[in-house]
Amino acid sequence: MEAKILENNAVITVELIGRLDTAAAQEVSEKLLPLQEKADRTIVLDCSQLNYISSSGLRIFLALRKASAVKGGKVIVKSINDDIRTVFMMTGFLNLFEIEA
Amino acid sequence: MVNSANAILKEYKEKLPLFHEQEKILKQELTAAFEKAGLHVAAIESRVKSYESLEGKLRLKGSKYHSLADITDIMGVRVITYYVDDVDRVASLVERLFTVDWENSVDKRKLLEIDSFGYLSLHYICSTPSFPYRFEVQMRTLLQHAWANMDHDTGYKSGVEIPSRYLRSMSRMAGLLELVDEEFSKIHVELADYRRRVQALVASGNLSDVPLDGDSFRSYLELKPFDALNKRIAKMNQAEIQEVPLGQYLTVFKGLGFQNLGDIADLVKEYSEAAFQIACYQIGLTDLDIIASSLGPQDLCIAYVLKKGGGRVGLKYFFDLLNGQSESNASIADMLMEQAADLPFMNQ
Repeated sequence: MEAKILENNAVITVELIGRLDTAAAQEVSEKLLPLQEKADRTIVLDCSQLNYISSSGLRIFLALRKASAVKGGKVIVKSINDDIRTVFMMTGFLNLFEIEA
Repeated sequence: MVNSANAILKEYKEKLPLFHEQEKILKQELTAAFEKAGLHVAAIESRVKSYESLEGKLRLKGSKYHSLADITDIMGVRVITYYVDDVDRVASLVERLFTVDWENSVDKRKLLEIDSFGYLSLHYICSTPSFPYRFEVQMRTLLQHAWANMDHDTGYKSGVEIPSRYLRSMSRMAGLLELVDEEFSKIHVELADYRRRVQALVASGNLSDVPLDGDSFRSYLELKPFDALNKRIAKMNQAEIQEVPLGQYLTVFKGLGFQNLGDIADLVKEYSEAAFQIACYQIGLTDLDIIASSLGPQDLCIAYVLKKGGGRVGLKYFFDLLNGQSESNASIADMLMEQAADLPFMNQ
């Protein structure tokens, strides 16, 4: 699992590549933790190469969403595949994020 | 007289740090009092008169003053409220906090003739045992404040003669602002009354009498109407429930044709079992151990649409209401239609 952070002025893009399962979640969580401080900006979670998400992965997304709600930014989830969209729907997470194709 | 003016200016210079310190204390005291009273004000401004301004004042009216303590506006605080009624609430709190020198305080709201419009503000000259000098507290609404600033900016009171048509325009504007101020206040009071009535109806359980709107929905959510369903779903996977805002379900429920809170209460009562079956089918066999508190209302709405025969179009419409229009909502609707065939409540 890889998480690449690309910062460009007001937008921070996080490319998530691989499987965000419980084993990978801790490392990704630590890598994305500093973004909570920058959550007044737009954070794009690029999921075009993400092929699985576990509950631990959902918690990472949710932590970013909470930080952005406090700091006045926004989190966009981009290019999720159908399986991940289904996980979002089944857990009630779908309407919590702005989802872009 | 020059001597007393010089003495006053000397005392001012010596005491200036004390005034600045007291300025901070006053603002803190007022802020704390407003907070305690649940009063939201637009701003609290303050200033200590500058040396130049004091010098100018003494030059013009020096004979009136024998010492610095005779000058009541060396330090001034201005409280700007949103509503007309709040000016009186602020005044009453100021009266409790400080001793008001009524002889020198002015209610400019009462000074205007019945057929004239202009500066409306309440000015109190106050004192407090911990500070040897009097100070001024001005209280006015945002619109009164806007008027005062505009008035000042146009030089209306500068003594320079202004053509009467401009004076008439200024007066007309003051009248308009006064009217708007009162209308805002009226709406504020009526809304507060409405909210109290809605809260009482919600608390008494007369939900069918409460029209569905932003205020009533907010009050209804305080009753945690979806908690039991969410807990039942969460228990299945020993999942944690993440509390999330449910405000956007107001649009969804309205879009589905719900008219009052009773309609939502009926939905919870009649469709919870079906919603639970959907959740069981979807996450019962997964290891997902987190759900959002929006899952309960989401599955209730899915169950409602399916049982009412809304089918694929109805489901897509629901997700469009919830997530905004998107083609991906169609694929979710397709998936749900496939699942629906296996759900017990659809086969009863």
